[in-house]
Amino acid sequence: MRRLLLHPKLTLAARMILGLVFLAAALPKVADPPGFAKAIWAYALFPSWALNPLALLLPWLELFCGLALCLGRWIRAATLWISALLLSFSLALAINLARHHPVDCGCFGSAAPRSEPERLVDMRWALLRDVGLLLLAAQVSWTFFGKHDRITGSDSEGTSY
Amino acid sequence: MPHSPRSIALPFLALAGVAGVAALISNGLASPSRHLAWRGSVAAQPSFTVQVERPASREPMPQGHAIEASRPPASDHPAPPIMRLGHTPPPAKPQEVVAAGPIREITGPEAWMAFQSGMPFLDARRSTEFTEGHIAGAWCTPVWESDLDERLISFKAARRPGPEDPIVIYCSGGDCRDSHLLAAKLLNEGYDHLLIYRDGFPDWLAQKHPVEKGRP
Repeated sequence: MRRLLLHPKLTLAARMILGLVFLAAALPKVADPPGFAKAIWAYALFPSWALNPLALLLPWLELFCGLALCLGRWIRAATLWISALLLSFSLALAINLARHHPVDCGCFGSAAPRSEPERLVDMRWALLRDVGLLLLAAQVSWTFFGKHDRITGSDSEGTSY
Repeated sequence: MPHSPRSIALPFLALAGVAGVAALISNGLASPSRHLAWRGSVAAQPSFTVQVERPASREPMPQGHAIEASRPPASDHPAPPIMRLGHTPPPAKPQEVVAAGPIREITGPEAWMAFQSGMPFLDARRSTEFTEGHIAGAWCTPVWESDLDERLISFKAARRPGPEDPIVIYCSGGDCRDSHLLAAKLLNEGYDHLLIYRDGFPDWLAQKHPVEKGRP
């Protein structure tokens, strides 16, 4: 079972899926920081002074982490960032779901206006998706943090940790 | 051999650093509609209470009735402005009318009368949405875009609204709060007769009132 879960092809697939999802999520937000600032504001979790810096920085962080995972560079650092981001996104969704405060996820940029019940359903799906991505990140972490025989460097496939 | 914390910390911090530099450069090169100030946000405006005055009758006002903004006689404790609808306003049950504040939500028929009487309309949605269609004659004042202040200065220079002159603000209706944020900003600047068109542009479109398209 352990061998199956740590199979190199599964790890490669998990890494690529995570990387591509984060690239796809980052690009619309990089292109429209004001729209993302509005999406963060709607969560009603952050002080107003933090909105714009978050809206400017997070999409680029997602973009570079996604690129790192796709290119096989700085995998452990990128997976750590991605896990932290996914945990934060899940927490933000869960808090707003718990207080019945429907928000547009904002995960992949601005969305078309929807009714409150539709948004609550979308939030549940987004939370489920984030948990699934967290599992992928856990698989990648397990593989790459488990390589105790290396500190830095590259393997035969040119992957750096 | 266990991992050295430095072996993870350095790329971890490097990713954040590269993201920060990229954000700085891209924001510096961004067009006004895509630019964000690193400090400050329109959401930092103070909170306020919106007064909702519901007309007793939902019947549309007959054509030709004017919407009239009026203020009560001056007193030691001036009351906020109120809006009177038509020459012969329908009798309202006392419990249905809440004393109006400086920021008040208005309905579609009230917005239409405000339009007919020549009140200025401010569109708080994004400039791209404004370009796709807006209330005829409205001013593009996207509350989330960094050139909001310049746009408001242009509006004030052109219309020269006094602090007591009514200004209608709208966005996309529903739970869109952009018009409320803009109202809070204008309230902070001393304007105290702000009317928020509650159902916003979708309602205006549905009522087939005049719209325009084009660049802000």
